[in-house]
Amino acid sequence: MSTFNALMREIKFTARDRTVVFWMVTVLGLSAISLAFGLAEVKHQQATIQQLLDANQQERDAEFEKLKDWGSAAYYTFHLTYDAPSDFAFAALGQRDVQPWKHRIRMLALEGQIYERDVGNPSIALIGRFDFAFFTAFIVPLVLIILLYDLRASEKTAGRYNLLEATVGQSSSFWFLRAAVRSGALFLCLIATLFIAGMIAGTAVSKLLLAGLWVLIYIIFWTVICFFIAAWRKPGSVILMTLITVWVSTAVILPALSRLAIDKLVPVPPGADILMMQRETVNDAWDLPRETTMNAFFEEHPQWSDYQQVESSFEWQWYYAFQQVGDQKTRDLSTAYQNGRLQRADIAAWVSLLAPPSLLERSLQALANTDLNTSIDYEESVRAYHAALREFYYPKFFLNQPFDKALLKNLPKFEPNQ
Amino acid sequence: MKSILLIAASEWRYWLRSHLALAAALIFFVLIIAVSVLTAARMEAEKHARSHQQAEAEETFLAQPDRHPHRMVHYGHYLFRTPAPLSIFDPGLDTVTGQSIFLEGHRQNTVMFAESSASADFGGLSWLSPALVYQLFAPLVIILLGHGCISRERESSVLTPLLAMGISGHQLILGKALALVSFTVLLLLPLIASGAIALANGESVVALLSLFGVYGAYLLIWVILTLLISATLSKRSTALGAMTGLWIGFCLVLPSIAVNITTDAKTVAGKIETDLTMLSDLRKLGDGHNANDPAFQQLRADLLKQHDVERIEDLPVNFRGVVAMASEEKLTKVLNEYAESRMLAELQQEQHLLDYGLLTPVLAIASASRAIAGTDLAHYHHFQREAEAVRFDFVQGLNRAHVEELSYENDINRNKDEASWQRARIDASNWQVLEKFEFQTTNISERVSTVSSSIQMLLLWMLIAFGALLWRGGKIKP
Amino acid sequence: MFVYPQHSGFNAMKLQTHSLHITRSGKEILKGITFAVDTGEVYALLGGNGAGKSTTLLSFLGFLSPSSGTIQVNNKDVTSDVASARKMIAYLPESASLYEHLNARENIEYFLQLAGTSANKNDIDAALDRVSLAAEARLRKLRDYSKGMRQKVAIALAILRDTDVLLLDEPTSGLDPSAIDEFHQLIRSLADSGKTILMVTHDVYGACQVADKIGLLRNGTLVGEFTAQGEESIDTETVHKAFSSSIGTSSHAEPA
Repeated sequence: MSTFNALMREIKFTARDRTVVFWMVTVLGLSAISLAFGLAEVKHQQATIQQLLDANQQERDAEFEKLKDWGSAAYYTFHLTYDAPSDFAFAALGQRDVQPWKHRIRMLALEGQIYERDVGNPSIALIGRFDFAFFTAFIVPLVLIILLYDLRASEKTAGRYNLLEATVGQSSSFWFLRAAVRSGALFLCLIATLFIAGMIAGTAVSKLLLAGLWVLIYIIFWTVICFFIAAWRKPGSVILMTLITVWVSTAVILPALSRLAIDKLVPVPPGADILMMQRETVNDAWDLPRETTMNAFFEEHPQWSDYQQVESSFEWQWYYAFQQVGDQKTRDLSTAYQNGRLQRADIAAWVSLLAPPSLLERSLQALANTDLNTSIDYEESVRAYHAALREFYYPKFFLNQPFDKALLKNLPKFEPNQ
Repeated sequence: MKSILLIAASEWRYWLRSHLALAAALIFFVLIIAVSVLTAARMEAEKHARSHQQAEAEETFLAQPDRHPHRMVHYGHYLFRTPAPLSIFDPGLDTVTGQSIFLEGHRQNTVMFAESSASADFGGLSWLSPALVYQLFAPLVIILLGHGCISRERESSVLTPLLAMGISGHQLILGKALALVSFTVLLLLPLIASGAIALANGESVVALLSLFGVYGAYLLIWVILTLLISATLSKRSTALGAMTGLWIGFCLVLPSIAVNITTDAKTVAGKIETDLTMLSDLRKLGDGHNANDPAFQQLRADLLKQHDVERIEDLPVNFRGVVAMASEEKLTKVLNEYAESRMLAELQQEQHLLDYGLLTPVLAIASASRAIAGTDLAHYHHFQREAEAVRFDFVQGLNRAHVEELSYENDINRNKDEASWQRARIDASNWQVLEKFEFQTTNISERVSTVSSSIQMLLLWMLIAFGALLWRGGKIKP
Repeated sequence: MFVYPQHSGFNAMKLQTHSLHITRSGKEILKGITFAVDTGEVYALLGGNGAGKSTTLLSFLGFLSPSSGTIQVNNKDVTSDVASARKMIAYLPESASLYEHLNARENIEYFLQLAGTSANKNDIDAALDRVSLAAEARLRKLRDYSKGMRQKVAIALAILRDTDVLLLDEPTSGLDPSAIDEFHQLIRSLADSGKTILMVTHDVYGACQVADKIGLLRNGTLVGEFTAQGEESIDTETVHKAFSSSIGTSSHAEPA
């Protein structure tokens, strides 16, 4: 009961403090801004996907005339693949400005297509968006620092410190309560706006609750840090600078050094090597004896090895076989590239335990499916879809099935991950 | 004048005796030196790797055996974007843009493999560079040293006797400003070290001076703002709190919010989206692989008439090559139109973003810094244009060889049998059409002129802040 | 439980120290002080700058722990239970600093709640009447108050806390003479109603006027104690002489 009274007392007291009220309004406003723009961006991306699907269909209709056999059908039919923003993406847009989330592919060698970068303006990507994840992970700790650093120091300069301590008797819980009321208010500002945005976007409640929990733990973490450093018997400026140094170290320096170290520690093959090798293989095939290509192809597709090869004139079977062989030859390099990225992401996940701002941002991005792993998953789904296209066409090529445009209706459809 | 120097000297003495000021300056110098060394090492390694890859790509292209020329058009070539000399100070867009581009006939590919796609992900602030240290953390040190300049004197009641001795508010502020400015010059020294390395790598002195100039102007804005707040607010702690709040707003919040507003207000169509619109335009041009395409009837008629023959077989040139050349030219025109309009849209979007430089000087300095370093959007576009020129040149060079070196008869019969397949080739010496490529930044006057608006923005900030300070200085009271 | 040595006759004392030594950052501030304040008594600690007056005061609130010796409030050791000692004490800090952005009533309400008590509007008004704070000033924020008005609010707060003990740190510094007089009357009436009051001051005249006992501190030791005899207040001249010699100036020296 007395704790409750004390809580009410401090809430009433804090509500009268204009500086605190100013910061709360600011946090509320910034949080709302970040979420509103996040919602708008997600809507824009959804519209883009729909628009691209329509335009791609139109293009396919226009090219429909050109399709004379299975080979030309595979050559001229493009398929749109995409990674739709999740129901929580509005809060953490993450890698979606840096990593491609849409590819228009056809049945040629995939390695030549999957590294295309249809991403936006790099100037925009460099500065980065003001999304909820960035705001909460990087800005909110600074606001907390400003709210809490001179909790005691300001009372000392104002000459009230001894009076307060003498009056309250048990002082440690008193200071903690003061800090908690400020942090709690800040948490409520964040969570209220997040939940409203979540309701607008129709986000799964479990996701919102989990996000709320991460944010709560994060705010408690910074409150505790601020609380203990602010208890130091030093002038306010020293405490503020110490706290900002903690922020700079965990939000900027440690991540920057870790990035350099991890990139050095886990080398990935230069991406251009993948493309070059793929290109060499595909182009050299024109000059190689056809059996060489076909044998390499049959090694992985023994079911078609009965196929009898025509020796001289151009043949789609051979053409697509060397496309496939191009992918096969680059597979090791491509896998190494992907594994390297995954391994870097794994180590980064562990290191971020030491860098809480990165940890929270990454956790929210993981929740929103906008992290690097999701991006690699999307790449995988494109590979799987491309494989399904080959599964569809290969029997038609190698069994010499008669061309029937109507059968193109049965082409596999791309299903985005969800 | 003497009293101004005295005030500046006493401020310096105060800093030298304050552990806080010394510690902050020390941390800053350790940070900037460490980041400079690491960035220089990283960018140098990148530069060597990419130059090496470039040389290798050229070698492989030239080493190709005798072939049908159109096969080489599709074989294609790679270009690598070597980093600018000053990228050791400001890597700018280098990390978020692709490093290599594949060039082939009939297509303009995107620049692929950005470092940021493969790197361990720790969020945007982890791309720490010397430029970012100056943009974000140098102001913090200035705030720390400067916030108490005047409010400290007021708090300890030294202001009254000072003013009573006949020192005017302006003299006091100028003295404090002199101290802070001299400290700011000190902060900028490590920039000169980075610049010296760039100089050795072929960067011009003017670029270095411009860089020094814009950062000087930027930090001066912070000096003035700090003095203004210190002169206005009565307590040190409020001055420090206010400046910290301003720093958060200027450096972290407003640039990103400007990005939000910009992307919302001015969208740029993506590559796939433009490609799809372009395809319907292209369809009208005809297929360059098919010389019988009706789109080339006119060309055929003209050529027959010009050489006064009846059949294309009788032409002294390979008609298939002529068609390839003509269609490549037409196609490139359309491709370039779309590429130019996409680049223009990107530039406009960036300009729109920079208009918010009125909200925070950080946007202006970041853009000016990137431009002078040669790592901005304009240079990324410049690379794409140069790559396109290289692409067009070697493709047309090969097409010309197709016209002149390969007979029409051998060409159309190429798929008949193994022997005709062998006959439809030209000598590998023709691959020499490929020129050596090394990406260079544009000259410095061009770089500076692209960011004149950012520089004007910085000057505007400086003027407004300085005006406010002068006005405030005249009204200083105990 | 450890039992502290107690002196016969000091048992009933409200506040007492015995051979109190306090060291702060390597420097010994109090070098063995023994004194006691009885219930209903006004005790003034007199001394120059750095004599150890405020240190003594703050040690009753448990802000400073003795390096040796004892310090007791109501016969209970302060160091072993700081919270309950503080419960018995109302403390008036030197500058009477309260919250500038609150008015008199809000300040009082807040601090009473901090102490775990409360008071209704009438009680607060009564207390403010007692310290004679003008009614029209009570709803103004403290940032518009004069030093004397702030002092009044702080005393009203001390009264409302209704503790047995009042500790006053330089309560009259910065007040005008009529305010000082008013204040002294208030202190006397509080003592007469049974409060125990310990104040530190360097105002010799004021101390003699209001105190039942005066302790003279010099360099962390108690160099003299003066007690009022019956209705007679302590002789100013005697104390002044002792005080001047204790801070190293002669009482006969003429001001230049």
